Amino acid sequence: MKGYCACGVADMAVKPDPGSKDKGPNLFLPRKADVLRAEQTTPYEKHFTLRLADQSQLEFQPGQILEVGLMGFGEIPIGLASSPTRKNTFDIVVRSVGRVSTAVNKLEAGDSLLVRGPLGNGFDLDKLRGRDILIVAGGIGLCPTRSLIQYILDRRKEFKRFILMYGTREPKMQLFLDDLAEWRKSKDIELHETVDRADPTWAGNVGVVTKLFNKVPIDPETRVVVCGPPIMFRYVISVLDSLWIPRENIYVDLERRMKCGVGKCGHCQINDKYVCVDGPVFSFAEVENLEEAP
Amino acid sequence: MQEQFLADKAFEPFLAKLIAAGPVVGPVGKRSQFVFAPLRSPAEARLDYDVTILPPKKLFFPPAQDLVRFDGDKVEGCIEPVAMVVFGVHPYDVKALDMTDLLFKERNEDRNYLAHREAATLVAMTPQKASSRAFWGSIGTGVEPKGHDALLTKVPGGWIYEARTPKGTALLKHGDFASATKEQSSAARKAGLDAGRKCSANLKHPAAAVAHRMKTVFKDEKLWNGLAEDCFSCGSCNTVCPTCYCFDVQDRWNLDQKSGTRTRYWDACLAEDFSKVTLGANASENFRETKGERFRHRFMRKASYLNEKLGGPACVGCGRCSAACTADIADPVRVIDTIMGRPS
Amino acid sequence: MAKAKVAFFDFACCEGCQIEMTNFGDAAFLELLNHIDIVEFREAISEKTTEPIDVALVEGSFTREADRARLEEIRRRAKIVIAFGQCACTAGINALKNHQKDYKECVYGKDAKMPHLDSAQAQPISAVIKVDYSAYGCPVNKYEVLQIVSHLLHGKAPVVPNHPVCVECKRRETVCRYHEGDHCLGVVARAGCGAPCPASGIPCEACRGFVDQPNETALKKVLKEKGGLSERRAEEKTLMFTANQRGATTAKHPEKSPALAAPQGGRS
Repeated sequence: MKGYCACGVADMAVKPDPGSKDKGPNLFLPRKADVLRAEQTTPYEKHFTLRLADQSQLEFQPGQILEVGLMGFGEIPIGLASSPTRKNTFDIVVRSVGRVSTAVNKLEAGDSLLVRGPLGNGFDLDKLRGRDILIVAGGIGLCPTRSLIQYILDRRKEFKRFILMYGTREPKMQLFLDDLAEWRKSKDIELHETVDRADPTWAGNVGVVTKLFNKVPIDPETRVVVCGPPIMFRYVISVLDSLWIPRENIYVDLERRMKCGVGKCGHCQINDKYVCVDGPVFSFAEVENLEEAP
Repeated sequence: MQEQFLADKAFEPFLAKLIAAGPVVGPVGKRSQFVFAPLRSPAEARLDYDVTILPPKKLFFPPAQDLVRFDGDKVEGCIEPVAMVVFGVHPYDVKALDMTDLLFKERNEDRNYLAHREAATLVAMTPQKASSRAFWGSIGTGVEPKGHDALLTKVPGGWIYEARTPKGTALLKHGDFASATKEQSSAARKAGLDAGRKCSANLKHPAAAVAHRMKTVFKDEKLWNGLAEDCFSCGSCNTVCPTCYCFDVQDRWNLDQKSGTRTRYWDACLAEDFSKVTLGANASENFRETKGERFRHRFMRKASYLNEKLGGPACVGCGRCSAACTADIADPVRVIDTIMGRPS
Repeated sequence: MAKAKVAFFDFACCEGCQIEMTNFGDAAFLELLNHIDIVEFREAISEKTTEPIDVALVEGSFTREADRARLEEIRRRAKIVIAFGQCACTAGINALKNHQKDYKECVYGKDAKMPHLDSAQAQPISAVIKVDYSAYGCPVNKYEVLQIVSHLLHGKAPVVPNHPVCVECKRRETVCRYHEGDHCLGVVARAGCGAPCPASGIPCEACRGFVDQPNETALKKVLKEKGGLSERRAEEKTLMFTANQRGATTAKHPEKSPALAAPQGGRS
């Protein structure tokens, strides 16, 4: 196989010794996970239910990420989309955008893929317990927050009032339709939905997600979680400011080009923060002064 | 540990025995410059070198390093360290290794680097020359190099060998050493103190003041765009830097199309695509779109972001970036002078 | 997985890139033949085909209107079209003539008026048909071509470097040409070749073209100030391989393009 490296950099001064093996853990060694269910929820997004191939439990916090990949293709960071309170399996939603996600989204039930993690800091549940909770999710931002939503619903007594605002561009872009149907009926969660552009199937709110605040009174002591595109983010923060919600009580879930997921490779850096190990969940007070933050 | 003296005539036999005992990597000539390479004979070693093109970091974190290998269903790690002696490393490069040791160790231990580092014996050497762009005499002066196993210093008539660890002591058996006299030891100390004065370039400003000023000029777009105007985004400054450790990861299949490797490659935050993400349907977003933003990020990393963690700037003054930059805009001494001289 | 059908075609070029593929001294090429069927390759086989093909590797630039129909025909038949070599990618050194008026007389003398020698501006094949991927270089890097084909066999878009040759020189510790009083185009040239020329003491001529965002102003400056070139030489230096790219930053690489097969990793 000599000379197969196209760029010529594989020649190094001292060749690794294939006879020697380090006993320490290899941060980059993934674990195999089986696809139990795969559902194409929108033209771009696919919802996977996974289980570790060795049947062991994946221990994680809502808000943490997984590096998901296939050998030969690479890895991508994906927020866990189910709660650790739902044992045995875990969910991810993958949007087809690049090499890895396109390959992963060709998988079906019965296939398997590779995961590393959980990685990063999830939501600080101790700071959320005993409080009113508002989650504002835009578009694909519902995926990582679904983990927290399920968690709160499974341990409903530990939290006070629970509100979810969910905005998408069009009705057909809505994710987790079964969940939404259930949440609409549930007394445990106040769900408010809106779309930027309605279609004939839509009878609900129309307009950006911030318009929902006109209908829903929010207590200033509420703990707020915001996850969505940068543009939504900025508008939501200004509304929260006007409601006198302190910035340390606002949590944001940031996305960057996370590559290694373990705080080494440098790609996800925002100023001096590594999103993959310092985040992806930050309090807004932590990131508001970072010039490179959205 | 008592310092040891090795007479000039005993030096070559010592190095020859080391080479016979296992791989020894040391500075050798390459055209008009120097590189660290496996020594085949003592005569190859150029201990009078000023600086090498790449720092010794490449031995533990090579430009291309396999992380995981796969063959169909089978996936396995491949951390395969080599026990080698790295000979003649200048103290500024030891300091840089101290930094990468810490950064690869903190939070998540990266054995793919650390295992190689631990397997090596590092013999540092007091510099006999300084490159024309070096300024290691004036940066991070409060930070002492500590990751080496022994320190070698040229004194009249021979060398002083100071073992600092059991690994360093273990090498003594290969040479005809004698206990150093008081005069020899003090000559070595003086050579160590004098070394810093060999640098022609000097950083005039204290690290804390620089770190503070870096934060206040962050939003000065005119400053950064001006500094980066001639930047080729080639990443040479990153590639030769002993404290840079960012990397990209790429997978490839072997010819059989079922086995292959996941490999990490040195990456550069000055390169255009470093912070670019794909959004699908030919769309992408670059979190540091302009040359100025990328140039600024490098200087923030070297002079501000990591200072608290490292106890000083993430720069050791080797001058490699200054020399490697074809546009001649990367020199930290000049850039920091410009920034400090700017009215705030 | 069924073997992918691969065919080579050529237009205005020296066919050196195809020759390069026959230059594998090791078993690499033969091993690849376990995974692909080469159905047309006039440097090595005499067969021709009119069948649909999976991957068309098209060498050479577009310089004659008469070639348009043949290019379109290849596009219709091929799932994936790869611009193979610099003539196809950017018109390579053929584009030199775009800056000359009397090239026909200069080359062919009194025969210049003969109709079969009639040609227009040299253009990349992307001027006529949609190109999915590019294999840069004069000639191509055969190992990179293997990688491109390997990626496509698995349905993965190939990874093409967008950093300058400097990166590869530094990684292999080549003494910079500028440090030896020479000049070099490596600062703006697309890498992926492994930087063999500077390693042999020869300046990079940017035979893989420019990176996406070359700093041409700074290039001219260093060619003059550090490389010692005259204003005119500095200007002409980029005519050889990048004549068609000067003054225009190239389009970004498409991320979504057709792929051959479903990923294999799934059931592994």
